[in-house]
Amino acid sequence: MSSVSLSFEGVRRRFGRVRALAPASGRVSAGELLVVTGANGSGKSTLLRCLAGLLAPDAGQIEHLEAGTALSLPERRARIGFVAPDLAFYDELSAGENLEFFARLRGLPVARGAKLLERVGLPADRAAGALSSGMRQRLRWAWALLDQPRALLLDEPFQNLDVEGENTVRALLGEHLESGGLAILASPITLEVSGAVSRLELAR
Amino acid sequence: MPSPASNWLASARAVFTKDWRCELRSRYALNAIGLFAVTTLVVTSAALGPAGTNSSLAINVLPAMLWLILLFAAAAGLPRSFVHEEESHTAIALRLAAPPSTLFVGKLAFGVSLLLGIEALVAPLYLGVMSLEVASPGLLVIALVAGGYGLAAGSVLIAALASQARGRSTLFSVLAFPVLMPLLLLAIELTRNAVAGDAAGPALPQLLLYDASVTIAGLMLFPAVWNP
Repeated sequence: MSSVSLSFEGVRRRFGRVRALAPASGRVSAGELLVVTGANGSGKSTLLRCLAGLLAPDAGQIEHLEAGTALSLPERRARIGFVAPDLAFYDELSAGENLEFFARLRGLPVARGAKLLERVGLPADRAAGALSSGMRQRLRWAWALLDQPRALLLDEPFQNLDVEGENTVRALLGEHLESGGLAILASPITLEVSGAVSRLELAR
Repeated sequence: MPSPASNWLASARAVFTKDWRCELRSRYALNAIGLFAVTTLVVTSAALGPAGTNSSLAINVLPAMLWLILLFAAAAGLPRSFVHEEESHTAIALRLAAPPSTLFVGKLAFGVSLLLGIEALVAPLYLGVMSLEVASPGLLVIALVAGGYGLAAGSVLIAALASQARGRSTLFSVLAFPVLMPLLLLAIELTRNAVAGDAAGPALPQLLLYDASVTIAGLMLFPAVWNP
C-alpha cells in the first residue's frame, strides 16, 4: 500500500468581509487521524472544503502526497473520500443506483457499491429521497469509501447515526487507518477516538 | 485495461443515463417543456388560424414563430440540468467524482436529446395546425437538427455559467440574449429557405459553425466555472 500524507500551512479563507477560516496549519500521515475542533463558525467545514479542493483558499499551501508524489488539484479531488452534512445524492434514484452511478462515473466496478451498502446496513433499493437523516449519513460513508481513498476528510461524520451506525462507521474508520490511510475529522464537540490521534483547535 | 478515452466516454454516458433516469422519474423538464410547447402552439394556432395558406405569412412569419416556441420551451426546461445540481447539493459529489468535461458532455447530450425529442413532437404538430407546406422537407429536418443542437448546447452552456451565480434566472436571461440570438436568426433563415424551397445558402455552414463554436466554448469554459 502506498504511503500518503496531507499537510497544510497557513490556509485561510474569507467570504466577502467575513473571516471564515483563520490561518490554519497541520499535517497528517499514513495511519494517523487529525481531529479538528472549534466552536461553530470557526472554519472547520471551510478547512475541509479547502483540503478537498472544493474551495480555493485565499492563502496558504496544501500538499497531498501519495507514494512520494504531490497530487495536482484535480487528482486531489479524485483521491479523497469526503463526508459532510451537505453532501447530497439523487432523490429520484435508490441508494444502490446512486452508488452505481458514481462507480460508473469513476470507472469502478459497480458491485463495490452493493458491498459497501451491505457493510453500512443500508437497503440498496430504498430511494435516496426516502432515507432518514441517519440513513443518509450511512450512504455518505458508503459513497466516500467507494474508490478506496487513502485520505478521508470527515465533517461531523457521526451526525444523526444511531449506536449501531456509529459503531459501524467507527469500525470502517479504524480499518481505514490500520490499512495505512489517513483521516481528518472535524467536529464541534470533543470526540473519543483511539489510535494515533493529533488535535487542532481552530479559533473563531 | 480501458483506455482514457473509453473511460472518459463511459463517464459522460453515465451522466447522460443518470439525467434521463432522474428526468423520467421526476418529469420536471419534460412536463415544463411539453406543457409550454403545447400551450404556445395552441395559442398561436388559435390567434393566426391556418396561416400557412397565406404564402407571405408562411415564409416571413411562421418559421420565426416555430423557433420562438422552441426557444421558450428550451428556456423552460434546460437550465434546470445544472441549477438543480447546485440547489440540491449533488454538485459536491459530482465535483469530486467526475472531470468537468465529462459532466458537460453528458449534460449536453441529455439537453440535445431532450430538445430534439420535443422538436419531433412540436414541429409536425405546428406544420399541421398552421397548414404549412414545406417545399424542402429534408432541409427543414437539417434546420431543426442543427438549430436544435445549437439551442440545446447554448442553453446548457449558459445554464452551466449561471448556476454558479446567485441571481441564476436573471443571469440566464441576460446571457441567453447575446448567445442565442445569432443561432435563432440563422435557424429561422434556414427554415424559411426550407419552406420556400430555396437552397440552404450560407445559413447552413454558419449554423454548423455556431454549433461547433458553442460546443468548443463550453468544453473550454466549463472547467473554469465549475471548479473553484
